[in-house]
Amino acid sequence: MPVIELSYSRLQKLIGKVSKKQISDSLPFLGLDIESEDKDLVRVEYSPNRPDYSTDFGIALGLQGLFGIKTGPIKLNVKKSNKYLISVKSNVSRIRPFVTGIVAKNGKIDDKTIKQLMTMQEDLHFGIGRKRKKSSIGIHDLDKISFPLVYTTTNRNHKFIPLNSEKELNISEILDTTDVGKDYGSLLGQSSQVPIILDEDQNTVSFPPIINAAVTTVTTKTKNLFVEVTGLNKDDAEDMLSVVATVLQSAGFTLESVKITGAKNSSPKLQYRKMTVNSSLINQILGLNLSSSKIISSLKKSRLDASSKGTNIICTIPAYRFDIFGPMDLVEEVALGYGIQNLEPTISPSQTIGKTNPVSLKLKSLDQTMIGLGYLEALNSSLTSKRVLYDMTNRDSTKLLSVLDSKSREHTILRDSILPGLLENLSRNIHESYPQKMFETGTVFATENPISEKISFSGISAHKDANFTEIKSIIQSALNIGFGIKIETKTATDSTFEEGHCASIMLNNIPIGIIGKIDSKIIENYKIRVPVVGFEISLSDSVLKN
Amino acid sequence: MSQVFHDIEKKIITSLRDNPKQSPESLEKSTQLSPDQIRRGIEWLKLKDLAIVFESKSSVISLGKNGIESFEKELPERRLLNLLKDGPKKLSDLQKELGFVFGPSIGLARKNNWVDFSSNEISIKNPPSELPGEKTLKLIGIEKLSKDKIDSADLSGLLKRPDFIVEDVIKTKEISLSDAAKSIKISDSVGGIDVEAKVPEVFVARTHPLKDTIDEIREIFVTLGFSEILGNITQSSFWNFDALFTPQDHPARELQDTFYLDRINAKKIGTPEQIRKVSESHKKNWRYQWDINEARKMVLRTHTTCVTIKHLAENKPDEARIFSLGRVFRNEKVSYKHLVEFNQIEGVVVGKDASLKNLMGIQREFYKRIGITKIKFWPTFFPYTEPSLQTMVYNEKLGKWIELFGMGIFRPEVTKPLGITQPVLAWGGGIERIAMLKYDLGDVREFYNNNLGWLRSAKKCQ
Repeated sequence: MPVIELSYSRLQKLIGKVSKKQISDSLPFLGLDIESEDKDLVRVEYSPNRPDYSTDFGIALGLQGLFGIKTGPIKLNVKKSNKYLISVKSNVSRIRPFVTGIVAKNGKIDDKTIKQLMTMQEDLHFGIGRKRKKSSIGIHDLDKISFPLVYTTTNRNHKFIPLNSEKELNISEILDTTDVGKDYGSLLGQSSQVPIILDEDQNTVSFPPIINAAVTTVTTKTKNLFVEVTGLNKDDAEDMLSVVATVLQSAGFTLESVKITGAKNSSPKLQYRKMTVNSSLINQILGLNLSSSKIISSLKKSRLDASSKGTNIICTIPAYRFDIFGPMDLVEEVALGYGIQNLEPTISPSQTIGKTNPVSLKLKSLDQTMIGLGYLEALNSSLTSKRVLYDMTNRDSTKLLSVLDSKSREHTILRDSILPGLLENLSRNIHESYPQKMFETGTVFATENPISEKISFSGISAHKDANFTEIKSIIQSALNIGFGIKIETKTATDSTFEEGHCASIMLNNIPIGIIGKIDSKIIENYKIRVPVVGFEISLSDSVLKN
Repeated sequence: MSQVFHDIEKKIITSLRDNPKQSPESLEKSTQLSPDQIRRGIEWLKLKDLAIVFESKSSVISLGKNGIESFEKELPERRLLNLLKDGPKKLSDLQKELGFVFGPSIGLARKNNWVDFSSNEISIKNPPSELPGEKTLKLIGIEKLSKDKIDSADLSGLLKRPDFIVEDVIKTKEISLSDAAKSIKISDSVGGIDVEAKVPEVFVARTHPLKDTIDEIREIFVTLGFSEILGNITQSSFWNFDALFTPQDHPARELQDTFYLDRINAKKIGTPEQIRKVSESHKKNWRYQWDINEARKMVLRTHTTCVTIKHLAENKPDEARIFSLGRVFRNEKVSYKHLVEFNQIEGVVVGKDASLKNLMGIQREFYKRIGITKIKFWPTFFPYTEPSLQTMVYNEKLGKWIELFGMGIFRPEVTKPLGITQPVLAWGGGIERIAMLKYDLGDVREFYNNNLGWLRSAKKCQ
């Protein structure tokens, strides 16, 4: 989840009369987790479904609501203007079909505001923009651009001076040499044409979704901004624009509209939505009995607007709250506005009778039996390594089941057997006193339609007198006493076990497992200095079989 | 009161009462016990503060190779003087008779002025009746002798000669009784044992400590009216993500967070109706082209919620309390606080009366039963629940609030496409975190190390 750094003193200026403590106590109730605090600075984690919390401007709006300083929705005041026009050429439709934009004037931009806007841009790109694939933003100095603009395509030899560069580069050079080019170039595929925004004088404004032109760089001297958002989908682009517009208005800018025409594009509406929720749903879900007026005031504290009609609550939702899908989201808004801390937990008597799963009961009974036989329970990961599962124990690895791109080399293969893990455990305990007797039950995996999962049970005994008879007695008693199952052993060979000391465990003439003395080479591989005997049986094929 | 002693102890005490200071060797003789019995007996008495062992170091002198030769044939210079007893002799004759000690013996006799040289003959002059070192040589003989019993002036000359004298440092022990032992009454009872003595440690066989916590948590939810269901660890992306309203381009679905199985896809992922309705919900709400092949990809489940949602979709109960418990996976770097594989419990309450306040109540009751009373709830976000909360519990030892279970009400976007009509409260979280608090562990990896030292000593905590 994204993290943003805030300053208490800056928040206090934005919110109004509140103390630092009031702010820090209330942040969690907006859904913001405090990561760390250092004097005036606080780092909070916010949920990616609330991109408006990617700046302190957005967080201040939320806190104002909770404190009751300013409630109700944030209205976007967009002044209609005919000065700013973007015409879209149809050649962009196959690459990045949509563009939208807005103009923000007469704002004060200090270093901190620039920093907030930049983190907002990055977070929006990463989250709702899906790493710029779905939508991406360019923020420019309006006064460096001469309208009208054209959103079109160009070839890879097209040259301009990109942001943070001093010389002209062509598109291919930008994609090959700059960090953003390398990170996001793949979004453009192999196409010879790439999207570009040009101004009236054919100067490059932006090369979406990669980089802006250097000429439009925003500095502390910038007064007026031009924001463009491009994307694969018109609604996604406008959603992103609505967040930026809301934040810029809160930062003190005056908004003016941008007119967009051509190739299925149109000017952004940034309109309110209406959504109805029944107050009985709200009260049922929250377990409360709130009046319509209390519901409405709670929604207002969540910076929405609402009115009632009978038992229905008609809610007005600003464009930037596109995280609200349906009535249930409004229930949450009521809960947040009402205050989660004001909800008193209640326990209602259960109408159901609880039951442990029969499989869990049988496994627990097996645990008790094995403990009675003097065996200690071990727990190993089921995602383990080729070394443990196959290399150290000479087992056949042709059917191994591996996961993709594991970050840990010790966890790459799903186990098809438990015994190798127990042998690995013995090797890590050679300095501990003997006898060492351990068992484990757990899931093992095999490729079969596409994957079969079975519950397996393995035990080992290691000490100077360990022998076949001992371990056979153990499994025989465990199954007989525990489950009334009588097994037999039939001579077998297996790479894990020593020849002449290995048998299949048979139940009604069907093999359900293997037992024997562990091969001396494996014991040597693991530097274990005493003989080891062990077994493994499939519980799914025996004890747990219906 | 008299005290019961082992026979060995009795004999040692009795012998020391007769002869208060003895070496172990002397005790062997007086008690007729073996050296090993004496050693053990002394050790036991020492532990009971009944015997005092005084250890000292001393030097012991014995003769080396040349010393023994001189002890047997006399000192080289004495041999020279003996040859000259009957009158002067020629150097060449002496050389023949004395062999390789000729040089050193002549040198010494001349230096001490015991002989006279005239032309090529040597005659006796005026030697003392006992030469330096002769007394010591005889005293030591073939024995080992404590250094303090030897005249150090007489020894000094011999020490300078090569291989004459060997000096060893040896430790000697002197055993005596403590004051308490002197007056203690020895019981006459035969065959009694020392019931106060220390005994060897044995190790209990036991269930794994983490398993104990898992069983405890399972038990609590069963008594709260929940029934346990089981499900597969390997799941199609459809049930792990799509059915839970997690869009296919969501960051959590990327390879770097989730384990995908190499080249394995599910053949059947759900009923045609389930697939159609889930995909429609995604297309409408998330606005993208839903791809069934993406939903077929097999993953190691990232939560047990996939098991409960599948159960609800298949059974569509009007009223139910169920939970699922088991291993879940995240593609993370393993560290003291992160594992790639851990246990999660996740449960749901279905019913027309199910409410957020009930859900909070169930959580509060659960925490109370595992001994956590200081809790609070904060809002949070999960893709498949709305509203969503997380429990914060206060840990006294760490002095801070820790995030434990998450919870919420399944979104209609999750339940509706699957034909679930009643509200579903859901909650869940990792079990290792709770077990770490219980066992006071700072490193979560310890649960899976199977380190016998820890497993054999960790306290059962209930």
